Amino acid sequence: MITCPSCGRQHRPGTLFCSECGVYLPTGGPLRTEPLPEEELPASRANPWATGEGEVGVEAPPKTLRIIMLDSGRQVQLPAAPELYLGRLDAAHGIFPDLDLTADGGLEGGVSRRHAKIHQQGNRFFIEDVGSANGTFLNGQRLTPYLPHPLHDGDELQLGKLRLKVILE
Amino acid sequence: MEIEKDYYAILGVGPAATGEEIKKAFRALARRYHPDVSDAPDAVERFQEIQEAYEVLSDEARRKAYDRARAEAGLSDQAILAWELTVSRQSLPAIPEEQILYLMVEISPAAAMEAKRLPLNLCLVIDRSTSMQGERLNQVKAAAYQIIEDLRESDTFSVVTFSDRAEVVLSGLRGSDKTLARARLNAIRASGGTEILKGLEAGVEQVRKRKRLRAVNHIILLTDGHTYGDEEACLALAVEARSQGIGISAMGIGEDWNDQFLDLLATKSGGVSAYVDSAAQVRTLLRKRVQGLGSIYAQDIQLLLRFAANVRLESAYKVSPYIIRLEPSQDRISLGPLEATSPLSALLEIVVGPQKPGRHRLMQLEVTGDVIAIGRQGERLRRELWFSITENPTGEGEVPANLVNALNKVTIYRMQEQAYQALESGNAEKASEQLALVATRLLDIGELELAQAARLEAGRLARTGRLSPEGWKKLKYGTRSLTMGPVGGEG
Repeated sequence: MITCPSCGRQHRPGTLFCSECGVYLPTGGPLRTEPLPEEELPASRANPWATGEGEVGVEAPPKTLRIIMLDSGRQVQLPAAPELYLGRLDAAHGIFPDLDLTADGGLEGGVSRRHAKIHQQGNRFFIEDVGSANGTFLNGQRLTPYLPHPLHDGDELQLGKLRLKVILE
Repeated sequence: MEIEKDYYAILGVGPAATGEEIKKAFRALARRYHPDVSDAPDAVERFQEIQEAYEVLSDEARRKAYDRARAEAGLSDQAILAWELTVSRQSLPAIPEEQILYLMVEISPAAAMEAKRLPLNLCLVIDRSTSMQGERLNQVKAAAYQIIEDLRESDTFSVVTFSDRAEVVLSGLRGSDKTLARARLNAIRASGGTEILKGLEAGVEQVRKRKRLRAVNHIILLTDGHTYGDEEACLALAVEARSQGIGISAMGIGEDWNDQFLDLLATKSGGVSAYVDSAAQVRTLLRKRVQGLGSIYAQDIQLLLRFAANVRLESAYKVSPYIIRLEPSQDRISLGPLEATSPLSALLEIVVGPQKPGRHRLMQLEVTGDVIAIGRQGERLRRELWFSITENPTGEGEVPANLVNALNKVTIYRMQEQAYQALESGNAEKASEQLALVATRLLDIGELELAQAARLEAGRLARTGRLSPEGWKKLKYGTRSLTMGPVGGEG
């Protein structure tokens, strides 16, 4: 038998998708996020006080947020919602991220099941690390957990070692 | 052009020969049999034959016409149905437990067979119960006018309305006399209940009277409500209609109709069912359906499976034109019609029990169908699938991308089915979790709008323990259509 890395359900060998949670089994792995060696991650830290408030003012039309997974090349447009979670799906423990990075090499890349969240406020988007094992990086700088940072078009996010590009249009 | 002559054999080329190969073969033969150089007694005759063959086969249009005419006359041994089989693995490890193997079967018209629109023998069966009053009935009438506008000389069109009883409004209208038809349609008024059986019986009768072998004989049912007590009789009628070559498609308008019943009705008769969420869509969807019917190439496509010992079918889903669970009866799976415009494909999940190492024939497949486009019944394709079972498999090969893609969408559709089943058995919490998963998976494949609908329904379930009927139908028919053509959002 093979075990689904996301929900723990048992399947017969050769099964390609978990019938319970829909994860593609050949790219799956064990459940726990292993801490990555520090030297494999960027060292600089983002200024926790930089909130980007100065840029507010002009009422721009509503924007849509698209994320490109730079390693897998996959693109996903995120729905309009006040809060969206990024991580790895673990149905057995009731963790359902809106954007599941399992299939993009999330496990090997050190992505936590609950890794980061994106807030939307009017036309602006913010990224916040939610206590991930390997950290969230914005343009190469490590974010202080639980402190939101504004997102801009073209920003590069890194969750553990997994690199994502932010497109706002 | 004499279709009794096998021009391919005369030139010594295969039926799939390219223009270049035909030219080459012709030149070589012409040099040999030219009356000036050959002293064979039949040289002149041979040379003429070679020339005639070349003239037809070197001209693309004439070659197609020739291929077609020969196929229709049953002279060609060229296949008129084509299929492609894709398996998830070519070799399996010899292990003491059961394992899973996926097989995708894609059926299409053979390349040489160009689609020709078939005559339609169509009957629209319209629900005119009280709830159809107003916008719904008006839109249905407008849709029916549109069908009449699109009718061609060879088509016949009937309209039956029903409430507690059925009336024949139009009987076998041909291309002419459209004004009278409009007036009759216009006079339809809404009142009474919904007794689908009465309408269907009258519809089947209309189509049966004008049934032709080389035509699409079909009924389209339009309803917005439940029928009470006659479901079983309706389903029995659908099975009987199919045995006579008459298909039934069903369109449900709004959110009050019984989707499970209409799906079953359509599946049993080899038709399709669709969800029309607003009255304004009736016209577009109905027109599309009628065009799809016109492009039917073959009908009653059946897949026959014969498995080796220790091998069995776990589940089967139709993937294209849309996703639906297939119900095998013994070793036979009914796939419905093949439209020339979209391939027909199915995905089978097969359980392989422990096998001894070596090369084994694990299954035998056969596809049969009536190719109505050229009036050939009982067309047949057959193939055996062999696999190597090895003690030490040398690394898993890549699973073909088209199979993974199709299976991904079928999995999402099944998860949505499971959510519904969880709710049916009273577990709203589980259903809500399942729908949240469906939302994540829909987002994975770039289906933003459907993902949003799934999120909303998951939230609604968690709060109220119930689904909204329109949200639910949107999800069900939306996930079912995931395999339909290209979708937005892909880079």
